[in-house]
Amino acid sequence: MERQEIIDGLVEILKTVRTIDQSKLENVTEETDFIADLNTPSTEMINIAAKAEQKFDVEFEDDDIDDLGSKVKDIVDLILRTKERG
Amino acid sequence: MALEGRKVAIVGMGGAFPDCKDLSEFKQKLFNGDSLIRSWDLALAHGKNIRSTVSGYITEPEMDLEAIYSTLAADYPETYIDHLGRIPDSNLSTADVGSIWSMIGAQEAIKMAGWSTSETQSEQTGVVVGSGGAGHVILRTAWHNFFELKRKTRLAGSHTVDRAMVYRDAANVSCLIKNRGVCESIGSACATGLGNIGYAYRLIKFGLQDRVIAGGVEGTSLETFIGFDAMQVLSKGFVPAESSRPFDVNRNGFVCSFGCGIVALEEYEMAKARGANILAVIDNYHNNSDGDGNMFFPSFSGQKRLWKGLIDDLHIRPDVVKVHGTSTPIGDAIELLSVVDVMGNKDYQISAPKSQFGHMLGAAGAVELITAILMLEQQQVLPCLNAVKLNPELESFQKSTDWNGPAEPVEAYRDLISLDTIDKEINQIVCLNYGFGGTNSAMSISRDN
Repeated sequence: MERQEIIDGLVEILKTVRTIDQSKLENVTEETDFIADLNTPSTEMINIAAKAEQKFDVEFEDDDIDDLGSKVKDIVDLILRTKERG
Repeated sequence: MALEGRKVAIVGMGGAFPDCKDLSEFKQKLFNGDSLIRSWDLALAHGKNIRSTVSGYITEPEMDLEAIYSTLAADYPETYIDHLGRIPDSNLSTADVGSIWSMIGAQEAIKMAGWSTSETQSEQTGVVVGSGGAGHVILRTAWHNFFELKRKTRLAGSHTVDRAMVYRDAANVSCLIKNRGVCESIGSACATGLGNIGYAYRLIKFGLQDRVIAGGVEGTSLETFIGFDAMQVLSKGFVPAESSRPFDVNRNGFVCSFGCGIVALEEYEMAKARGANILAVIDNYHNNSDGDGNMFFPSFSGQKRLWKGLIDDLHIRPDVVKVHGTSTPIGDAIELLSVVDVMGNKDYQISAPKSQFGHMLGAAGAVELITAILMLEQQQVLPCLNAVKLNPELESFQKSTDWNGPAEPVEAYRDLISLDTIDKEINQIVCLNYGFGGTNSAMSISRDN
């Protein structure tokens, strides 16, 4: 799975999170920070992670979610790493 | 303790009402003598597994709300959209449907009160709002996904706590209006609505707050409904509009309903000084417990002590007694006889608004206080629908040697209970509500002179 494909999928998830300013979703890159750039409430991060599990058909370890950074690339890395781990 | 000379005014109100788009339609339908009780499709869908199928319910579209269902957990309303743009998305994300109604009601009450932003956000402004049930709709789905479907906790999302905690309604209102004073919920079953307003009254009367947003709410929930259905205490066998029939000899239970009532209370002199429209003045609030160890059965002596505590040495002689009047066989008879024991049998009217919209549980006392305020405003007594035939025989408890109340059957008090809306000079109304656990509450309100 390509990284851009994952980013596009994450943007689709973010469009369902109504507490995120939707106008900020036009230029999401790997360096975009969920909290600093998108003002995502910290309570929504777990919802985004859970929806990413569903969308990309992976199951994260609890420790991986605990250690997850707040940038888009962090979750892209986690998705790819989890997929490789099988 | 109460501070000498400090009075409490009601200066705003709002909420959510069955089969009504707003307070204005609620008022119109009430005085028109309409019933707001309907057959409930959600209950009917369960066939023989559910006994009662009528309710004064409120759907999401009726409140211009839309549930957004989670893609992760079946039937889980992840959040709501407010199609009228009243409540910001960030506040909607932490709210169950009852909390949303509370926020809408608080906005309406503050707007009617005319409080400025600085007054609303003051340390002297409190929020005291509660509900009878928990956030059942939220909890059921979260628990089902974890316990039955054996799924991870995070699949129900991260808002199970804030959307289901006991004081979620107060917390959501407080986060919306950004007050800096008290934020709490009082729980007292079906006395919750009046109990929260009574506590708010005391906060002002005792000098602890100058303004309080107060009330009760019960969000539409089949989960709540079925608990009462299992107790076999819900009305059954009548068409919807005739299902709630307080005092009628053929009554067989209450109609489980949902709604929200919010009022804005303010220290009287402050409200007067800024030229506020005073909807009513609270004369007194009193609450007590039966003390007989019985969870469910109402107490004649407990209610008599309630009146004694309310009247105290104040001039309380209401023109209307707004009763709890649930339409249950025992409750209505004991309540009527306790009112008659205190008030006699003439020169006042009894109003039982549950006859029009059913029993809103934790919202009942608050919504019914709003009906009392409307009666003061309209100078009309709301009807007691379906109280067609009163019992001409003595109640069984009246035949006990221990009974020391009125010796006449309920039918003797027919003149106090009108089937139609009637005109009357109304200067003072006493509101009564009771709850499981033997809790009793009473508030007297008057027109501002």
